[in-house]
Amino acid sequence: MITQLLRAEWLKIKRKGLWFLALLGPIGVVALQMVNYGVRKDYLLAQSDDDWGYYLSNVGGFTPMALILGLVILTSLMASIENESNGWKQWIALPISKMSVYASKFIIVAVLLFVSSCVLTILTLLYGRTLELGENIPWLQLLMNSFYPYLASLALVGLHLWIAIISQHQGVTITIGIMGVIICMMSYYLPDWVIWKWPTLMNDWNNPLINVALGVGAAIILLVIGMWDFNRRDVA
Amino acid sequence: MEYIIETKQLSKTFGREKAVNSINMCIKQGEIYGFLGPNGAGKTTTIRMLLGLMKASSGSIQVFGKDITKNKLEILRNIGSLVENPSYYPHLTAYENLEVIRKVVNVPKARIDEVLEIVRLSDVMSKKVKGFSLGMKQRLGIAAALLHQPKLLILDEPTNGLDPAGIIEIRELIKSLPAKYGMTVLISSHLLSEIDQMATSVGVVSKGELVFQDSIGQMRQIAKSKIIIQCSDVMAASERIQELEIPLEVIQDRIHLSQPTDQCVAQVVSTLVHSGHQVYRVEEVKRSLEDIFLQMTEKGQRR
Repeated sequence: MITQLLRAEWLKIKRKGLWFLALLGPIGVVALQMVNYGVRKDYLLAQSDDDWGYYLSNVGGFTPMALILGLVILTSLMASIENESNGWKQWIALPISKMSVYASKFIIVAVLLFVSSCVLTILTLLYGRTLELGENIPWLQLLMNSFYPYLASLALVGLHLWIAIISQHQGVTITIGIMGVIICMMSYYLPDWVIWKWPTLMNDWNNPLINVALGVGAAIILLVIGMWDFNRRDVA
Repeated sequence: MEYIIETKQLSKTFGREKAVNSINMCIKQGEIYGFLGPNGAGKTTTIRMLLGLMKASSGSIQVFGKDITKNKLEILRNIGSLVENPSYYPHLTAYENLEVIRKVVNVPKARIDEVLEIVRLSDVMSKKVKGFSLGMKQRLGIAAALLHQPKLLILDEPTNGLDPAGIIEIRELIKSLPAKYGMTVLISSHLLSEIDQMATSVGVVSKGELVFQDSIGQMRQIAKSKIIIQCSDVMAASERIQELEIPLEVIQDRIHLSQPTDQCVAQVVSTLVHSGHQVYRVEEVKRSLEDIFLQMTEKGQRR
């Protein structure tokens, strides 16, 4: 049933600009580095002996914010597709379980963000090559730089999808999302349990895998809670 | 299975307010059941519960002889619905809107063309629904409800916002469904004239309570006549009639006899004439279905 639902959901997001957004995020993140390195490449290269590592950390500085902003907009759009024309009542009156309806929306956002992360990897690599940072490309670090923040932010997908679906007003969703981005920017000063800090991969133990594990674990819990809550609610 | 839909003591409360109060609805196979009531009477809430969109506060719902809480998906597989205003994805074309639904109900693609043909939207199937008129959106909603060839069609105010030509078209379509496809139809409306022209049986709901449920013929039976008599000295005349032990009412200087037999009318007239009253007019007034509907629903409002 879930595959049929996913096929239907993919069709629903046609012409809604979700794919465009999914591409815009990584393009924006790398474009910022194009400006950064375009203006002061010599200065930046002088900052570290590990040019690739320094470049990746620069890219990585903007990834969490782009991810959070992206997932807020994507989850909000996923809910608004149903909200704006009373789609829920028609959709839920079909022979499909409410839980899988909720799960399918989560999967769509997760897949779109995964595609963003793939594009980010490719663009980071391509621009890095043009900067001539050296022949020894740190592949593992490159992949970690793109996919660890993605995995750590899945918990936020769970949280924001829930907020977007239960709040009838898109303003609520976007407001909480923007607050999240601001909180994320101040992550350095925040305790490790703050969910908006996780995509930055910062923690007291200096081990990004902790954030990845927290992100994936909490995502599963939030998804289950969201599904349960959506199932028990009456459809307006 | 005697009934397609059978609810027992079905109730729904929102906070302190009882939106639906102990409704026992029975709909037989092949019927067009008109669910009638003023705005806010509880029609949509009842329909939402029948579709599993809302959970009942108490009572039970059986559809196709099965309990909705336990067999929801199985039941929904055989129900097509249009609840209140039509649902649609404005950024998709008419065809794509149906394709979204087709993907989860598993019917062949050809079925989309068939239903578009039924609701006469084939010409505009590749246009975005954003630009559709309300009538076209409503028809698209009906097409979506018919897509998976349901055995039961639940339509909540399907003619809302349609122009007269659209109303007639939808009415003819709905009337043809039981004979053509063996469907049972539940259609709600706040307009008696609508239901009167389509339904084979009627349920009237007011203030959350089902105040009447029977065949449309039975409802028409209630529309019995009333005799209004205008004569001289109404007060004395009415006293004279009361001596005959015939119940009457005096309203605006006219004597009203409700549902009298022919014998009774003859007796009254002859008594009045013989006792020297001048009889100006003896009129028969038939109650319209509208009156009955209003009376039924007012009774509900007073409760």
